[in-house]
Amino acid sequence: MSDNNLIEGEGYSVEHNPGTHVVSFNGTMRLKTSADYAHINTLLDRAYQETGDDEKLTLDFRHLQFLNSSGINTVSRFVITSRKQNKASLQVLGNQDIYWQQKSLTNLQRLWSNVTIDIQ
Amino acid sequence: MTQVQPTQKVYGAWQQIPVTPSRQMTVDAQQMAAHWRRCSLSSDFWAQYMSLFIPTRVTEEYLGRGEVEQVLAYLLNELFENCAKFSNGSHQLVRYVAWSQDDSMLFQVTNHILPEGQAPFAKLIDEMLNNDPHELYFQRLEENVELDLDGSGLGYLTLIKDFGVQFSFRFRPQENGSTAVDVQAKVSLQQE
Ligand SMILES: Nc1ncnc2c1ncn2[C@@H]1O[C@H](COP(=O)(O)OP(=O)(O)OP(=O)(O)O)[C@@H](O)[C@H]1O
Ligand SMILES: [Mg+2]
Repeated sequence: MSDNNLIEGEGYSVEHNPGTHVVSFNGTMRLKTSADYAHINTLLDRAYQETGDDEKLTLDFRHLQFLNSSGINTVSRFVITSRKQNKASLQVLGNQDIYWQQKSLTNLQRLWSNVTIDIQ
Repeated sequence: MTQVQPTQKVYGAWQQIPVTPSRQMTVDAQQMAAHWRRCSLSSDFWAQYMSLFIPTRVTEEYLGRGEVEQVLAYLLNELFENCAKFSNGSHQLVRYVAWSQDDSMLFQVTNHILPEGQAPFAKLIDEMLNNDPHELYFQRLEENVELDLDGSGLGYLTLIKDFGVQFSFRFRPQENGSTAVDVQAKVSLQQE
């Protein structure tokens, strides 16, 4: 897997699998500014471009313990820009045992009806 | 017992509590900003520490220990991040205090700003406390895509809307020329 599909930071990682069209988030991601989140944005945008119009891109948060509100803003922004392109649909995977996911992930569905949320 | 001075301004349902608890911490905002993961570390520590007030088994109507810990970790991290990001001026002291109450926990985090920073922050607080948080949240998200703001302005709104946290704010002008910002956050221990 090429390097630009994997971001590893202190306490977190984000990985894009171009074969399965899955972006998975791991650890605790509480970066300081939207500029610090820019590389995550870039990875997400590229993953979206590489997903065919009739395919779906999966965002897998099941192993992400925490995401701060700047991070939620980053993901929400990605959903809105995808909605504006209106190509591939999005699937969001969450973890029932992680409280913020239970409470906040459904917000993404309200941003775009082509987002399905699956909290497992 | 401290009295609200005429120069002080309070927003929301402020709780005046005479007893200062022993659970407190002071840190330097600049240090926290420079070593960013200290926000995360401190919030996780206090979240776990406070969650030990919760019995291992609770009835259905209450949040379990693990849930409380996760709510507190989310909340405190947002509060510490704000102190680290928005403290301004030569007074960089941040103070954290926590009270355990009957069916809730109360947190108060204090940082300092320049006096001219009060009005714009107060305007935001007014807007936040007097409008539908749900509407504001989605409105802000859509706006953020167009603008490239540094703060996303979603921290408090997320906590109010998704976690049911109740906020109250107080501004206290100090003799040293800075203004202390006290943020109180009340977390209900009952299931919604
Ligand atoms: N402790 C504080 N001292 C001074 N100003 C503050 C403080 N907390 C918040 N503010 C002001 O209120 C605004 C809203 O804060 P909020 O936490 O909701 O969003 P944010 O910090 O901008 O973005 P996010 O939390 O999503 O990263 C901030 O942008 C800042 O202007
Ligand atoms: Mg914030």
